[in-house]
Amino acid sequence: MGGRLSYGLRLAGRNPLTLVGLTGVLVLGLIAAVAPWIVPYPQDCRGATDVGEQFQPPSLRHLFGTDELGRDVFSRVIYGARISLVVGIVTIGLALAIGVPLGVIAGYSGGLVDEVIMRVTDTFLSFPSLLLAMAISAMLGPNLRNAMVAIAISWWPWYTRLLRGEAISVKEREYVAAARAMGASWARVVFRHVLPNSMVPVIIQASMDFGGVILTCASLSFLGLGAQPPIPEWGLMISSGRTFFLTSWWIVTFPGIAIFLAVLSFNLLGDGLRELLDPKVRRRMLR
Amino acid sequence: MLWKKILAVAVVTGAMLLPALAEQPQVAMYGYHSEVTVFWDPAYSFSNEIIWMHNVYETLLRYDPFTDQFQPVLAEGYERSEDGLTWTFYLRRGVKFHTGREMNAEAVKGAIERTISLGKGAWYIWDAVESIEVVDDYTVAFHLKYPAPMDLTVAACYSAFIFDPAYDHDWYLQGHDSGTGPYTIERFEGNTLMVLEKFEGYWGGWEGNHFDKVVFKTVPSPSTLRLMVESGQVDIAYQLPVSDIQALKDNPNVRIVHTPSFQNLLALFNTQKPPLDNPLVRRALAYTIPYQDVIQGVLAGYGRQARGVVPYGLWGWSDRVKQYTLSLETAKLLLSEAGYPEGGFKLLLTYVSADENERRVAELWKSQLAKLGIELEVRGMPWDSQWELGQAPDPTKRQDIFLFYWWPDYAHPHSFLSAMFQTEEEIVFNLCYYSNPLYDELITRAAELAGIDRAESINMYVEAQNVLMEDVPGVSIYDMEYVRAVNAKLQGYVDNPAYPHVVWWYNCWRG
Repeated sequence: MGGRLSYGLRLAGRNPLTLVGLTGVLVLGLIAAVAPWIVPYPQDCRGATDVGEQFQPPSLRHLFGTDELGRDVFSRVIYGARISLVVGIVTIGLALAIGVPLGVIAGYSGGLVDEVIMRVTDTFLSFPSLLLAMAISAMLGPNLRNAMVAIAISWWPWYTRLLRGEAISVKEREYVAAARAMGASWARVVFRHVLPNSMVPVIIQASMDFGGVILTCASLSFLGLGAQPPIPEWGLMISSGRTFFLTSWWIVTFPGIAIFLAVLSFNLLGDGLRELLDPKVRRRMLR
Repeated sequence: MLWKKILAVAVVTGAMLLPALAEQPQVAMYGYHSEVTVFWDPAYSFSNEIIWMHNVYETLLRYDPFTDQFQPVLAEGYERSEDGLTWTFYLRRGVKFHTGREMNAEAVKGAIERTISLGKGAWYIWDAVESIEVVDDYTVAFHLKYPAPMDLTVAACYSAFIFDPAYDHDWYLQGHDSGTGPYTIERFEGNTLMVLEKFEGYWGGWEGNHFDKVVFKTVPSPSTLRLMVESGQVDIAYQLPVSDIQALKDNPNVRIVHTPSFQNLLALFNTQKPPLDNPLVRRALAYTIPYQDVIQGVLAGYGRQARGVVPYGLWGWSDRVKQYTLSLETAKLLLSEAGYPEGGFKLLLTYVSADENERRVAELWKSQLAKLGIELEVRGMPWDSQWELGQAPDPTKRQDIFLFYWWPDYAHPHSFLSAMFQTEEEIVFNLCYYSNPLYDELITRAAELAGIDRAESINMYVEAQNVLMEDVPGVSIYDMEYVRAVNAKLQGYVDNPAYPHVVWWYNCWRG
């Protein structure tokens, strides 16, 4: 294990951007884990208001200033990391839970099953994903949970497509044929042999998608179709602060920077992972 | 010879410049946040277009809610019979429609009958009218089914325009008008631009300072609108965010005009669903609204706490009506009495998702309720969905608190007290699902008295509001002020809340 880790780090070291991404993601995770204990005004993240303190510019007391209801923007931005991370994990998890089994079944079975699954997938793919998520969220009723469901529903087809392609090539490998020859059941072949060996591209894709999901969730919340007030969700914070942009720039600027940094970190990490796990690129890097 | 040449040049240029200086048309511009035209037909105009229609069409009377007086417009005077069932209006002579025909009793009868027969917009304000009689060319009499204040009806903001009845809907859709007002349509672009030019034959004449043209333009972005006011491109801007108003206060080129309006924000409680079916809980909630924080923090002071349901400035408002204040201690006592000493229940509040003021009010309220152990779920919805949920067949599936605005169709307290609180078989706007026969009786009698004995009518409306304050089917939170940024040079502008957002440009000029 130790050898593999140092090998991995050595590879990563050749691409400093990956390290930047990794650091960003780790910091985000750390902040999210300890947010309730480190923010200066925890009550402001749970909906407390103080009109006497509204529109304060950034100062030592309020690092990022206060918003239109007198809440500390710094506390809310920090707390927002927790929400964004939860949204990312839950949504991607949900999308994987739908997309992965369908993809591997379609790829391994072929024939009619493959046709049916893939045509349904194509139908979903034919909608722009943000538009589909908006429609679903509006239908289910706007709140954070439904927004996560909506994004997952618009997201899973990508994983199905990716996994099916991989499964088609894996199922022709000799070890799969061997397992079958030894009398392994269909489920055992699919889930113990084909699936684990087709997962790599999906894992890479999922890590890159984290940023996209966070951004989509923020967009939904901005449009009023995601998190509902007073949840300190970044997109929602921008939406409610936008009318004050000319007079109180800090209300929208800091959540905006937070979204930017989170999405950038995940994208850099995802890019790096792709290079690390893709044998062709890896060989070139070590040469 | 040189001086002669110079003189000649000076004379020629002078001659060219003079008419340009003299005939430079005075153009006024109104920046509006939304479409300037929704309906084209004056008979059933029921939306934004009144901001220009009141400059093109006129009513028999105009109402000033601050003095409770009527100004003569197309009617020079009027009389009411002893029993309040016949109202006679004496028309102004020598008034021409923009179509060239004369405005007389026949035309007034025709216009109002067309409005009633189309049955669209605010036509129901004419509900009391049994028949309209042409007494002579310049006298028209209304015979009523029951006593009603016809002076308020003929001065209504909607569906009270006098137009040339010879034209139909399609003709208006092509961008024509048939009014008697000082301005007439010059051109328009879709529903986002309307240009009016002066009507030479206006009965008021064109002596003195008046604008020659008025432009109504849709400017959806508040920041653009703010820049246009600052640079003097726009003479009046409606609906800028409070923060921009604060920033414009110190600008010498801009004047901020704020006037009490007849629009108020109400929270209607679901009286059919536990725990708000218990009047004690509803009364407790009335004590949890941070009224002063809302007015300072959300409205920046441009508003006042509501008292009763009728807004301040409208007849029927009275300081004899009970007013609730923020008192969490009282709320806690009432909750204990109702069996919820520690709160422990959850309420769903719905509001219109794009309305930032409603959202802020909901969030401020939520933070107070949390202190009593009550969880308020704040849900922004498109208006259609919010209303649909409010009308769901099963009352327990509906929201607990419905947040929305009300403003009157005509300057009458009945508009507030009947639509939202009178027993309704089929739910339209009684979104508190309240039904109290005593209350229904009170406001019905008050409405009948309104045309005969105003003072007694007001007494009964006050009594009815105190019934509401006791039962608390809903609470009015604040009465809005209309806040407008106006070019500092603009003179003659007076905001009249009985005609929301209307500017009578004929009375204005740039000083």
